[in-house]
Order: sequence, then structure tokens, then C-alpha cells
Amino acid sequence: MNQTLTINISGIVFHIEVDAYEALKVYLSTIKSYFNNSEEREEIMLDIEARVTEIFAEAQNDKNQVIVMADVNKVIAIMGEPEQYLTDEEEEIPTQKTHRKREDKKLFRDPDDRVLGGVASGLGAYIGLDTVWVRLFFVAAFFMGFGILTYIILWIVMPEAKTTAEKLKMRGEPINIKNIGKAFESEAQKVGEKLQNVDTNKFSSKAGTVLENIVMAIASFFTAVFNIFGKVLGIAFLFVGTFMLVVLLALLFGSTAIFSISNDGVYSMASQDFFNLIFINQDQFYLASIAVFLLIGVPVIGLIFLSIRMLFKVRSHYSVGLTFVGLLVVGTILAFMVGTRLAVEMSAEEEFEKTEIISPDFNTYVIKTNITEMPGQGVLEDKFTSISIEGDMMYQRFVELSVERSKNDSMMITTNFSSHGKSPKDALNKAKAINYVHQLNDSILFFPDYLATNKEHKIRGQQVEITVYLPLYQSIYLDKSTKELIYDIDNFTNTYDKKMVGRKWVMLEQGLTCLDCNDIEGITSKELEELKALKMVETKIE
Amino acid sequence: MNIENTQAQMRKGVLEYCILSILNNGEAYPSEIIEQLKQGKLIVVEGTLYPLLTRLKNAELLSYRWEESTSGPPRKYYQLTDKGKKFLEELATTWDDLVAAVEITRKPTKK
Repeated sequence: MNQTLTINISGIVFHIEVDAYEALKVYLSTIKSYFNNSEEREEIMLDIEARVTEIFAEAQNDKNQVIVMADVNKVIAIMGEPEQYLTDEEEEIPTQKTHRKREDKKLFRDPDDRVLGGVASGLGAYIGLDTVWVRLFFVAAFFMGFGILTYIILWIVMPEAKTTAEKLKMRGEPINIKNIGKAFESEAQKVGEKLQNVDTNKFSSKAGTVLENIVMAIASFFTAVFNIFGKVLGIAFLFVGTFMLVVLLALLFGSTAIFSISNDGVYSMASQDFFNLIFINQDQFYLASIAVFLLIGVPVIGLIFLSIRMLFKVRSHYSVGLTFVGLLVVGTILAFMVGTRLAVEMSAEEEFEKTEIISPDFNTYVIKTNITEMPGQGVLEDKFTSISIEGDMMYQRFVELSVERSKNDSMMITTNFSSHGKSPKDALNKAKAINYVHQLNDSILFFPDYLATNKEHKIRGQQVEITVYLPLYQSIYLDKSTKELIYDIDNFTNTYDKKMVGRKWVMLEQGLTCLDCNDIEGITSKELEELKALKMVETKIE
Repeated sequence: MNIENTQAQMRKGVLEYCILSILNNGEAYPSEIIEQLKQGKLIVVEGTLYPLLTRLKNAELLSYRWEESTSGPPRKYYQLTDKGKKFLEELATTWDDLVAAVEITRKPTKK
């Protein structure tokens, strides 16, 4: 028993078996695809269909009312294979022929060999790789984070191979009668297998179809959106992509500062100088530049490429995509190499401390810092730090100041120098190379907000931490300029650093307390004097 | 060099001339033209003819009329136009020249 279809060619109705119909359809559409001139094509196709009808009509009699595969084969024998339709005019352009051959292979999802949507098997067929490897890649990509998104996008973009002709195109097999017959046999075999497994697969296949329906809905939505906004997006991508490429090239190879506005505020850097301060030698610097270019530049170029495709509907060879992936892999490897080298450079950390004792000659010491710009030319500037160079010297804004209770009656300033390095010795050398001096003029304590090192010591996380130790009842005034310098100073009222500046603070038993403040709980100068007097009396009694 | 390819090329060159010649003897529909061409082994399959006829018609060398058929869809009967006749005459001259040229080259040269 065979299923038949009713078709109408040139106004005459035939009954035709399904496989014969499929073969005939492929035959006619292949011939059609061989003609370029659309006006001629329609007319030629009508003539050919008329002739096909004649041949079918001759084959039919009272016993034979259905067109079968043999009849289609007869048509092809009489009319010739599609290639034989070519007259001189088409053959004069050999490039066109090879182009057509390349296009014969198309990217489809394979519905017969799928775990989710058949993306992996379709891709595998397209690039000529076993499906297992493509699936392994997706599993690996899933753990690297971009797998799911890539898969969904591909699922949306790739159409499903529904007809036999599309399945043959997916595998890049020439569409001829022999292959269609072969494909039909394997399909019939699969249907048989499916029927046997129908009970065990009931649940999973149902889940598959629900998921598939959702994805299909999303896919058709996106296709519609893409069709409408494709061009607009293309122009936008082209614009953004080109802009990003220019910025990137300037960043990597230019010496002038690039300004950009990010979430952290205005940010600027002179990239070449900056990289020179990080990497130990030129080689590492070049490797890092290449890695950055590959990891950021390649996707940007990809974006530009995509936009050109969207705008001009240019078809690209799959090797273009593979090249992009290859370059990304190379970029990742380079970044890993440079990163490891840098991690080694930064692996050790050492510190040392200098302590200075100050006689508490004044009731109140004023703590100040510079509010002028750092010396030299800025290399990196943002909200948290800035780095500048002048001649051989490098200046970094990595200075923090804290205030604590002194363990005795003297006032002390400790300065802690720390740095990273490839070994403890190297780190200690770098820490010792930090040039940082504070000044004491009468009651004014001046702390610069940046530290200086020689450029050759590179940026290795050099840091200066100052702690001012106050004896009991000693008061200080935090100048407004120290807003960015002070760091997490413990105090009785838990007042936030930024709010502590521009006020006087006094060290009491309970901790640092605001002196003569209206809006923060504290004590007045009068109360402080009383406390001091009381303490004097207590000491005398003892 | 592929012998079949060269043969096919030679046949193709003559094909247009032959089609016009057949139609010079009176109008015909594709199957009839094919029948004659097949006798001369000029074409093997019918598919080759249809694009060629359409192009000759579009070049205004041929015209056609419809005629109902008892065994299938209506048939296109092709005939030569005036332009086609002139074209054929020129081709005939070229053909004679070619035959003459081939004859000359095939004869052994006398020294």
C-alpha cells in the first residue's frame, strides 16, 4: 500500500505516489535553479512541465492510473539530468558553476538526529565533522558560559531540514534520483525504529515538542523582528563596530590618552604607557597587545562583518566563522600565557614599617594632604586611583590613612610600605624603593596622597598605609582635603569617613569622638577640659 | 582533453543552425523537432531544447502559435520569422565556409 497525491501539471490532473512526487519536485526545482534569467525561466519551466505532462499521459492507461517512480525516471531519461539543460551561455561562466556547488550545502537543523533541536548534527553535517565532536564542543562551551546562548541563537537562525531535498542539501549530497531513493529508504527505516521505541520515548519526545514549540515561537518572532529591523540594526552595528575598532586600535597602539565614560565616572588612560608599566619586557607587552586585539578586536570585526552581511545580504563561506573562532582561541591562549607570567610576577607580597614618635606639643594636630594634581603626565585616572609618570618616576595614588588609639602616652605615626613581586626578596626591594615622606610643621601634619617609585619597578601593587596613633585626650582636625585619603577610621559614633572630614576628633576611652560637633554625638571642649582635670586628679591620688 | 566534451561542444554550435533549418521546412512543435535532431544524434535528451527555443523566440528569430492536443496539454508550434530566415541564410553561408575550410584542412597538402 502506497500513499498517493493528486497534482495538477499544465492543467491536467494526475495521481502520483509520494516518493515519485518528491523526486519530480526536486527534479523540476533543480532545473529551475539552473536558470538565472527569471523571465525566460518561467517560460522554459512551463514548456518543460507541458512536456512532462505529455510523457505522463502516454504512460497512463486503464491499468496504470498512478504515476510511480518508474515514470519519473522515464521523464528524466527522456528529458535529461538537470546539468544537461545547460546551454553554452551558462557554461561560459565557470566560476558560477563552482559557486553553485558550494551553495549546494546549506545549514539546516537535522530533525532525525537530535538531542534538543538538531543544531549540533546540522552543524556537524555542514562543516563535515562528526556530530559527537560538535556536541562535545557545546557541552564545553556550556561550562565556559557562552554555550547556552550560542545554542539558542543557532537554533533560532538555522531552519529545520523538513523535506528530503533539504536534508540532502544539509549533507551536501547532490540532489538526484539515486540519493532521494537512498534518503527515503533510511527515513522509512527510522520511522520503523521510532514506532518500536514509541512507548519508552513518549515522555521525552513530548517534552521535546513543547520546548520546541516555544523555541519555534520565539524564533519566528525574532525572524520577523530581524526582517523589519535588520537593515537598521546592520547600520547601527556597522557604526558601533567601526567606532569600537578605531577606539581599540588607538588604545593599543596610540600614545595619547583615550577618555571614556563608564559607570565609575570619567576614566582616562594612555594605554601604551600603562602597559609598559605593567609588563616586564617588550615581548610580554606585544603578546598582551595581540591578545587584547584578538579577544576584543576579533568580535568587533565580526560585528562589522555581520552588519555588512545584514546590509548587503552577502553570503559568506563557513571558513570565515571558523577563522574568527580560531583567532579567539589564539587570543585566549595568549591572554592565558601573559596572565600566568604576570601572576608569577605578582605572586609574593612583602611589607615593612617605619615608626616616628611625636611629642604631643599641641592640643590639636591638623591632618592635611595635597589637593593639587599629581606630578607628571597622567596614565590612568579614575575614581579610585590614578597613576602618572614624569621622567623616570612613577606616581601612584595608593595611600591610605587611619587613626587609632596609642598604647602609651606618646603620639606615633607608623608608615607601612608594601609591594608585590615575583619573590619575597623582590617584593621587599620594591617596597623599600617606595619614596614616601610626610611632613610635620608645628601642628600641621602633611601627608602626600601619592607615592613615588622608579618606573623600572613597574606597577606591582605598591601601597602605603599610614596609621596615626593618638594618646588619650589628644585631638586632631581632619582637613577637608583628606576626604579621599582616610580609610575606615574607627570611631565611637561609627561615622562614615567622608563625614569625618572638616571636624575635630578627640581620643577618649570609648574611642575617637567628635569634638564640638552639633550634628554628631560627641563632647564639647568644656567637657573635655573637665575630663582632663578629673584624670589629673585620679593620677595624683594614685 | 575530454573527447565527449569536445564532441558536445561541436554539436552545440551546430544545434541552432539545425533547429532553424528544420523550421525552415515548415512549422513544428518541440517533440517533432527533437525527433529529427535525435535522428541526427545532435541531442540525446529533450531538456536541452526548451531553453534554446525560448531564447531563439526571445531573439525574435522564431514565433509560435498554440494548438490543442488530443493526448495532453496544448502544444506550441514554432515557425521562422523574417528575421529568423535572414539569420538562417547567414548561418548557411557560414556553414558552407566552415565545411569548405574543414575539407581543405583535411586534404594532405601538396608540396
